[in-house]
Amino acid sequence: MPFNLSRRTFALGASAAALAACSQQTPAAEEPNFVNLYTARHYDADRMLYAAFQEATGVEVRALSGNAEQLLERMRTEGDATEADLFVSADAGNLWRVKDAGLLQNVTSPTLEANVPTRLRDPEGAFWGFSKRARIIVYRKDAVRPEEVASFDNLADARFRGQIVMRSSSNTYQLSTLSSRIERLGAENAQAWASGVRANFARDPQGSDTDQIKAVAAGEAQASVCNHYYYLRLTRSEDPADRQVVERVGFVFPDQAGSGTHVNISGGGVARHAKRPGRAKQFLEWLVSDEAQNLLAPVNVEFPIRPEIAPAPDLAAMGAFKEEDIPLDALGRHQAEAARIFEAAGWK
Amino acid sequence: MSGRAGSRLNVDAVALFAAAATLICAAPALAVIGFALAPGEGARFGGPLLTNGALGTLGLTLAGGTGAIVLGAASAWLVSLCRFPGRGAFEWLLVIPLAAPSYVLAYAYSGLTWAGGPIAFPVRGFWGAAFIYAIGLYPYVYLAARAAFASQSACALEAARTLGAKPGALFFRVGLPLARPGLVAGGALALMEIAADYGAAQHFGLTTLSTAIFRAWYAHQSAHGALQIAAVLLIAALVFLVAERRARGRAGFADGGARWRTLPRYTLSPLAAAGAFVFCAGLIVLGAALPLGWLAYIAVEHTYAADITKAFFNSISLAGAGALATLVLAALIAVSARRGGAMGKFSLFAAGMGYAAPGAVLALGAFSMFGLMREFGWIGGVGVSLALVTLIWAYAARFTAAGAQPIDAGLARLSKGLDASARTLGAGPARRLWQVDLPIAAPSLAAALLILFVDILKELPATLIIRPFNFDTLAVIAYQYASDEQLELAAAPSLLIFAAGLAPILLLTRSIARGRAGSR
Repeated sequence: MPFNLSRRTFALGASAAALAACSQQTPAAEEPNFVNLYTARHYDADRMLYAAFQEATGVEVRALSGNAEQLLERMRTEGDATEADLFVSADAGNLWRVKDAGLLQNVTSPTLEANVPTRLRDPEGAFWGFSKRARIIVYRKDAVRPEEVASFDNLADARFRGQIVMRSSSNTYQLSTLSSRIERLGAENAQAWASGVRANFARDPQGSDTDQIKAVAAGEAQASVCNHYYYLRLTRSEDPADRQVVERVGFVFPDQAGSGTHVNISGGGVARHAKRPGRAKQFLEWLVSDEAQNLLAPVNVEFPIRPEIAPAPDLAAMGAFKEEDIPLDALGRHQAEAARIFEAAGWK
Repeated sequence: MSGRAGSRLNVDAVALFAAAATLICAAPALAVIGFALAPGEGARFGGPLLTNGALGTLGLTLAGGTGAIVLGAASAWLVSLCRFPGRGAFEWLLVIPLAAPSYVLAYAYSGLTWAGGPIAFPVRGFWGAAFIYAIGLYPYVYLAARAAFASQSACALEAARTLGAKPGALFFRVGLPLARPGLVAGGALALMEIAADYGAAQHFGLTTLSTAIFRAWYAHQSAHGALQIAAVLLIAALVFLVAERRARGRAGFADGGARWRTLPRYTLSPLAAAGAFVFCAGLIVLGAALPLGWLAYIAVEHTYAADITKAFFNSISLAGAGALATLVLAALIAVSARRGGAMGKFSLFAAGMGYAAPGAVLALGAFSMFGLMREFGWIGGVGVSLALVTLIWAYAARFTAAGAQPIDAGLARLSKGLDASARTLGAGPARRLWQVDLPIAAPSLAAALLILFVDILKELPATLIIRPFNFDTLAVIAYQYASDEQLELAAAPSLLIFAAGLAPILLLTRSIARGRAGSR
């Protein structure tokens, strides 16, 4: 079989052969000691996890990182010929879409069921969270009192006319945030909120989450929204400019008096056409094990999926908070509608 | 003798290979158009997303493209025909920004000039993006214009000078018209690059056809809607290429015989010389030194979990293989287009339209083709080798125009008489290809190869989605860190892309300098 493969490689042309030689060949073995991962997460911590998994089990993780939608499309066209065993994404909406496309299989696993809270996994077992993040409001300390931005609702108040900066509504985090609102309060409410925030823009959307925090610090606006870990990263930075940003900008976990803060997961699911479904499940189970969660916690900027695992000290210092309680598949189901609402509001 | 039969066989061989090459290069784009026309959901994207995207792309190509053309033409004129301090160095330094991908420039300028950055003048929004395109893409025009000015007959310029033309008049009334084909060709590449750009436009929050494609695909969850917008972009590119050819075609010159001389250079007044120096230096500072220097500054003292050495090697070998494969296809297409009639010309456009589309779209087209082939049972699995072949295929689909344009321009110097003489002497098409066309086009072949190498080195979206497992390139690693908002970690791989592209670019400039008429 390896011989066959390399013969085919040669037939495909010298240039391809030269390239194939510098990447790894697919080994043919009845007992594969590797698992193939399509992942839309690309943190350095992930590479460390792969290495630790191989150390613990002897199973190599081969990753193909990329954009979630493109990986989904690749998996779709590959059909049952796909090499992917596992799909990992940093957004529940994306995981739901892969499931919805019929590209994940339901897994039953006592280990996963015991360790992943019900709310942070697919009810049918198609995908499972292994860490989570919160969407927070950041504000300029010298201009805003924290209680003025206690809720996402406040960002649409006339109080903040010309004082809000946001990133583009093409971004998954924005879409998921609005999707959760559609789920809780309906499309009409979501439309009114998006229009209200849009009316408060200090400028057209641009840049990343971190750019929004810096814009608030620089006085371009009074408040914005970001994932909690972008703020956390700035607090960890040794760059004096970043330190100054953190000095000027405060944050709140929004909606503590109401529905709770919007939370999203990083999670994974076993591919419908996985060639090594056992390995894929093994990796998912290992990700929520004591070993992996404790390994991940100190370096991870996200919260551990298991409540009893302590997050990194500075992450824990951001405080405990009430989480929004909605079915996570809502983030996927409402996403296209959220995009339309943003467009109707003129939120680029 | 097998004379006639052999020659007829040769006709078939070259034309046949060229047809096959066209099909290979155009297939992913044609697949995109085909799938877009197929019935399915997503018809609503005929609406605001498409309109706004089209307006955005039109505006940016006009503003950014004009900027690139003006900067490129002016700088080429200065170093070709004027004498001022540093001219010799600028001649090759001016190409450097070509090695910096637009998305890297966009990230660098946002870090430099947005909130809290060291420069208080924010480069953002529409004009910010237009600036990034102009400053990053003018080398395409510079290269073409430089070659055109260099190969202009000195006689025409000297005659004009003898008749008392001032430098300005000489530029606008003689140099520019003579260089128009080159300017149009280089400008076309810059315009199509702008249309295809996703990274910079997205970062600046602009709606273009390229960002609209991804909004339909990601946010509206409609891959079909994305294909429809992509089809509009591809067809617009096709129309544009035809128009570009007509604009160039009417300007067919006999190139003034063979009396080449060293180009006469104006000695500029001290003030004008200082202006020329500042202008050229400004282009290099804004297009490379400032953004890349800043990246180097923030890149220091970071450790990497990613294996950058391996990624460097992957990038180089992939760009090498992709450039060679695309060059062969592009050369076949260009030669056959020169010889053939309308059909041959059309193949040049069909194979070239992919240059205006984002790589991810062509990747989707290539994937769909493989999906179909798999359904028909023509191919089996999706292993490493197949992924690499798909990737190189996507590169060919995307970059053929970048290879074919310079080759075509090089072949334009081949006089019809030479081809006819070879034919009279009984040389078949294949022999004419080897012994006439390719030797004459050799310098442009080298130029095309180098442009392709640098283009593929910078390419991100197709590489990201098609590559095999555990196979990262520099662009992929830069993207991973940048999308995780860790620009300080994205900086080093970005700089390496630039460094790896620099060597071929300097080679390219030298080959142009050597190819100058009169210095032979």
